[in-house]
Amino acid sequence: MMIEYAWLIPLFPLVAFLIISVVPQKLLIREGGAPWIIGASTASFVLSVLVIIDVLSGQTLTGGDAPSITWFSVGSFDLTFGIWVDQLTAVMLLVVSLIGTLVVIYSVGYMHDEGKRKRRYYAEIALFIGVMFGLVLADNYLEMFIFWELVGLCSYLLIGFWHFKPSASSAAKRAFIVTRVGDIMLLSGLIILLKFVGTLDFATLFAFNPATGEGSLAAAGMSPGIATLAMILLFGGAIGKSAQFPLHEWLPDAMEGPSTVSALIHAATMVNAGVYLVARSFPLLVQTPDALVFIAIIGGITAIIAASNALVANDIKRVLAYSTVSQLGYMMLALGAGGLIIATFMLDEHQEGLGVGYSAGIFHLMNHAFFKALLFLGAGSVLHVIGTNDMRRMGGLGKTMKITSFTMLIASLSIAGIPPFSGFWSKDEVLATTFHAFEDAGSYNMVFLILWIIAVATAFMTAFYMFRMWFMTFAGKRKSDTHIHESPRIMTAPLMILAALAIFSGFSFFTGQGFFAFLSESITGIPAGVAVEAVNPLEALGHIFASPLTYASLIVSIIGLFTAYTIYYKGTWSVARLATGTAGKMQRLLANRYYISWFYDAFAYNIVYGFSVLVDLFDIYVIDGAINGAAWISRKSGAVMRRAQTGFVQNYIAVILLGTCLLIIFMIITAEWGGG
Amino acid sequence: MIPMIDWLIFASLLLAIGAYGVLTAKNAILVLMSIEVMLNAANISLVTFSAYSSQLHTYTDSMGQVFVLASMTVAAAEVAVGLAIFLVLYKRYGSIDVTKVNILRW
Repeated sequence: MMIEYAWLIPLFPLVAFLIISVVPQKLLIREGGAPWIIGASTASFVLSVLVIIDVLSGQTLTGGDAPSITWFSVGSFDLTFGIWVDQLTAVMLLVVSLIGTLVVIYSVGYMHDEGKRKRRYYAEIALFIGVMFGLVLADNYLEMFIFWELVGLCSYLLIGFWHFKPSASSAAKRAFIVTRVGDIMLLSGLIILLKFVGTLDFATLFAFNPATGEGSLAAAGMSPGIATLAMILLFGGAIGKSAQFPLHEWLPDAMEGPSTVSALIHAATMVNAGVYLVARSFPLLVQTPDALVFIAIIGGITAIIAASNALVANDIKRVLAYSTVSQLGYMMLALGAGGLIIATFMLDEHQEGLGVGYSAGIFHLMNHAFFKALLFLGAGSVLHVIGTNDMRRMGGLGKTMKITSFTMLIASLSIAGIPPFSGFWSKDEVLATTFHAFEDAGSYNMVFLILWIIAVATAFMTAFYMFRMWFMTFAGKRKSDTHIHESPRIMTAPLMILAALAIFSGFSFFTGQGFFAFLSESITGIPAGVAVEAVNPLEALGHIFASPLTYASLIVSIIGLFTAYTIYYKGTWSVARLATGTAGKMQRLLANRYYISWFYDAFAYNIVYGFSVLVDLFDIYVIDGAINGAAWISRKSGAVMRRAQTGFVQNYIAVILLGTCLLIIFMIITAEWGGG
Repeated sequence: MIPMIDWLIFASLLLAIGAYGVLTAKNAILVLMSIEVMLNAANISLVTFSAYSSQLHTYTDSMGQVFVLASMTVAAAEVAVGLAIFLVLYKRYGSIDVTKVNILRW
């Protein structure tokens, strides 16, 4: 019965934010206000769990029955703040509240030496978590957009937390500006929707009945082209926020912030917002198959580009950042492919389980959130101890940092897709959905075959770079003589909790009715065929391992793992020798990130700067010209007119008399005509 | 009875003569005297309207005559102020030629 109080969830961290930022330093209990945010996020977590229990028992708050307040009304448009709680929201609440809580607890150890700046850190973290809750609970796109922008602001502030470092402040600016490109696209898409449908409330927008066509975008007067454009623009927001190609370069740079912030951005808050947006918009997206293909293609490209960049990165956090980008690509791929399957078959009454792709994307989001938070917090634990990001100067840390290295190993196995860790289950479903789209998606099937191959190749790369990272960091010989010790208990405890989740969160696929049957109910408006049937654990297990596709991804993952083992642990193939010839050229291309950054700079320099020069010239010659011209005219006319000021009183009197006479003549004439 | 228009023409002529004097005289006292002439032209027209008001109303409106008394009082004060100004002018410029007093110019 707690579901009506879901609106309290964002309020706890927001109140903590106010307390930490407003209450004088002396009155904050200790640690720069950390107890406040730990308490607030724990309260949010407890309430989230209560809400999730309600959702599990079948209650949802969608549409009119949810509490909401009106902020303001413009004409026929009301901006309301309401809440929308369904199965998708429940999953997001779990991810955000759990990881948020663990990250702030970990922060107490990690940020211990920051001194007075801690207060700023905790205030921003509190705001970040609070607005992310607001984002996932929003019941209309405009409310969502407001929180969306606030999430962007918080990530800017936190990436630039060490703003005295030039690299940090420029990374923060980059994150802000690049995601802003996406935000503008999102806003444009929303404006198109608002213009045609007249509202941005989910309840109205998602009331789509494919059988009758009622409530569809076409019924609102949108031609297929306009609808596809609006949906692609909407996805543009996700391209920016979830770091999809070609706007993915900000995320690896965002490593300049503290590791805890990276964990939060990568696992709980920032980047998940884009995936959530796409999932939330599913009832709209299934009406525009072309936009879904676009999403799947962007997802596939992102997955492989980022994975290949991670192969050669030497900065431990950069490897993890690229892996996030790559996994986000997977999620988008699953959502795009799954959406296309729904779009193709939603009118077919005999279809069942169309929601698999949708559920697979969110399933991967959840599993990824847990193991990626673990990886970043683990990396943070390593940095905390050794003081460098460069993996070439690490090595052999596993002997001393047993908890860190072991939990990191679990997370790496999970992301590499080795059963029974969580990443295996969701990645397998992502690949299966893509293959299913190849089999069923009609004219786009070749696209999806290529995307499936890309996804399998990405799986190989994922296993390779994750174990490259693990072997370089934790195995082999020590390469620096810094004093190594395990991190304090307050940091290792969250690692162990997350490690447990990285193992067990995948099993939610089998528990109860099964994650997919639970989640697929949240695609509002789509009829029964979408819902995935409740699973029988053994049957599902048999189904997964009976499929040859499963072995394809499993085998490439294991090959990737052993390649990394051979090169970076056994040293069978020399790393130095691999850096020559064609392989070396490839490595340089990858190390330069396909010159995408370079392209950004070239674009910014030549086009934006060129345009700025044009604008500058316009300013100098036209704007300034107009102003200076007006001043020149005043000056010149003044020089002439001032000669009227003769100083002779009689001249003035003469002018007054003349004027009076003219006035009288004028009055006489008008009186004549008026009386006429 | 002399028609009203004649009085008004007389007042207009007086006004014109005064205005001519103000515009052309160099001596400040002449200017002041011309102003007095113009003032009295106005006074005459006021008295005229007052005297002939019974043709318009059932009663004689004596307001115009009262105004004239007030304006004559003001004119007397004005002369006192004007002559004081001329004294100062004379002290400063050694003459009261208004064409020489033109320092308020571009």
